[in-house]
Amino acid sequence: MMDVATKSLTGQGIALSFGGIEVLKGLDVEFRAGEITGLIGPNGAGKTSLFNCLTGAYHPQKGAISYAGHSLEGLPPAARAQKGIVRSFQHVALSPDLTVLENVMIGVARNYHSGWLHAFLPTVRGRHEKAEMRADAERALAELGLAKAADKMPSELPPGMLRLVEIARAIVGRPAVLMLDEPAAGLNNSETRDLMRSLSALASPDLVMVVVEHDMDLVMSICDRIYVLNFGAFVACGTPAEVRSNEEVVRIYLGSDDD
Amino acid sequence: MSDHPVTIKAVHPPLPERLRELVASDLGSYVLAVVLIVLPLLVSGSWMFAIGVCFANAIGVLAVSFLVRYGGEVSIGHAFFAAVGAYSVAILDTRFGLSLLVSVPLALVLGVVTGVAFAWPSRKLSGIYLAVSTMALALAVPELINNTDALTGGYEGLYVSKPLIPGLPMSFQRYYVALAVLIAVVFALARFRHSRQGLTILLSKAHPAAADAFGTRQVWARCAVLGISGGIAALCGAMLAFAGSTVSPSGFTLWSSIFLLVGSVVSFYGLTLARALIGGAFLTLVPQFLSASGAWIPVFYGLALLGMILLGHYLPRLKEMMARHGGTA
Ligand SMILES: Nc1ncnc2c1ncn2[C@@H]1O[C@H](COP(=O)(O)OP(=O)(O)OP(=O)(O)O)[C@@H](O)[C@H]1O
Ligand SMILES: [Mg+2]
Repeated sequence: MMDVATKSLTGQGIALSFGGIEVLKGLDVEFRAGEITGLIGPNGAGKTSLFNCLTGAYHPQKGAISYAGHSLEGLPPAARAQKGIVRSFQHVALSPDLTVLENVMIGVARNYHSGWLHAFLPTVRGRHEKAEMRADAERALAELGLAKAADKMPSELPPGMLRLVEIARAIVGRPAVLMLDEPAAGLNNSETRDLMRSLSALASPDLVMVVVEHDMDLVMSICDRIYVLNFGAFVACGTPAEVRSNEEVVRIYLGSDDD
Repeated sequence: MSDHPVTIKAVHPPLPERLRELVASDLGSYVLAVVLIVLPLLVSGSWMFAIGVCFANAIGVLAVSFLVRYGGEVSIGHAFFAAVGAYSVAILDTRFGLSLLVSVPLALVLGVVTGVAFAWPSRKLSGIYLAVSTMALALAVPELINNTDALTGGYEGLYVSKPLIPGLPMSFQRYYVALAVLIAVVFALARFRHSRQGLTILLSKAHPAAADAFGTRQVWARCAVLGISGGIAALCGAMLAFAGSTVSPSGFTLWSSIFLLVGSVVSFYGLTLARALIGGAFLTLVPQFLSASGAWIPVFYGLALLGMILLGHYLPRLKEMMARHGGTA
């Protein structure tokens, strides 16, 4: 259990503002390996902005971010991805020129390193690499029940399926940190249930998983711990039961949902 | 088409299956390639020469189309990279007596290097701003050539005469070498589309932030696209020098760059052999066809352009209406 604690993704005093507007007000977070952490809060609370700070897309004015004890300071998103820190996007960001399978293959691309020659010529190594990437992507699609959609173009699929493709791309490369931004948005009830099962199955002692979600049933049933964000500050943090019974949370966010 | 998706597929599919995949993916291109290989038996020498130059221009059209397809950007300066390739061949030939075996690889390398060298400072530019900065490249070419006339021959240019294979008639070599390079570029680009780099660059075009989040930096993608595009354009120049036999500054003006873009547009940025040839034809063969019409050339040329674009626009719908299955993408 020792190394579980050291493999967490932590942020200290993360402060972010845009043109004088404080979006994140000095947040301290610890997302632990082996747990599924929920991150909830009303629209505009700063959930996606926090993800963007953690992945390096945004540069917080203050604060320190580290993974497994190593500072991520100054590392651009691509370098963080190389460390296995991966996210899905709230607004599905797939290439319209690529098939579903090819889009998912991009999720494992960072684990392969063949050179340019293999990109242009039909070499054995290039073929081998592509076959492996393809097999990985097919497996991830199958896990999310999308095997049949592999050869479709994104434009041929409904939004809910595109959302699942987005998630498949995030999970396919065996990430160390997986941040999912509203993975259930646009999914129907049975799709959401299947997704919950898949995410729970994905949890492992080495994986840091963070889920931003508005679907309270999903968050309450799969998360081990939940952070509640409002106006760029945490108002609560704890187990689902603790968060559910927190008065302030009930007041600002869960009021209508709970009891 | 993958019937049993979950089990890991054989990493080496059996050879016949691989061959079938290879052929089925591009049957039209293979037929076309065979036609082009036997074509010199049927046409006169002057047409053979013109078609050889058309092959070279088709490579240049591919360079521009590649930039559009993979970078989402437009260039009106690709004659610069073509000049780099053309003068690599011409200078090594006339000054050092070296054949294409040396000069074509050099042209490719220099094209890639200049492409990346241009990509780096312009990495933050896109759209019309990038296009106009590529124009700066094109405008510089004639001056650069004229100011280094000890090497480049200045206005008068250089004559490329060294055969690749000594003993074979030069007219055939000019045709077949250009064809071989064109086919090689089309083949390499078809492989690239399915490569790891190709996939990530295409994502970077549509969603740079997403590509970034999966390990592909936008700057890297931009440099890669312009490097490859510059390299292909340099191959175009190398073949213009060899198949066209002369190089001079008048062959690499802003107009040349614009016509490469025109060729790319009329071929709808296609990266297949047929599309590249349509583009190349608009630089070489269409003007030659129209040469009998004297002062009306620009008008007829414009009409031909318009006709091609409308045809490309409405053909898919016509095909649909006739309920026949579509051809190449
Ligand atoms: N790039 C940006 N420039 C300016 N303001 C921004 C930027 N990104 C986020 N914001 C602002 O930061 C605040 C938090 O936005 P964010 O997207 O993080 O919220 P969220 O919690 O993800 O909300 P939602 O549930 O609607 O997705 C919003 O007020 C938003 O307008
Ligand atoms: Mg959000």
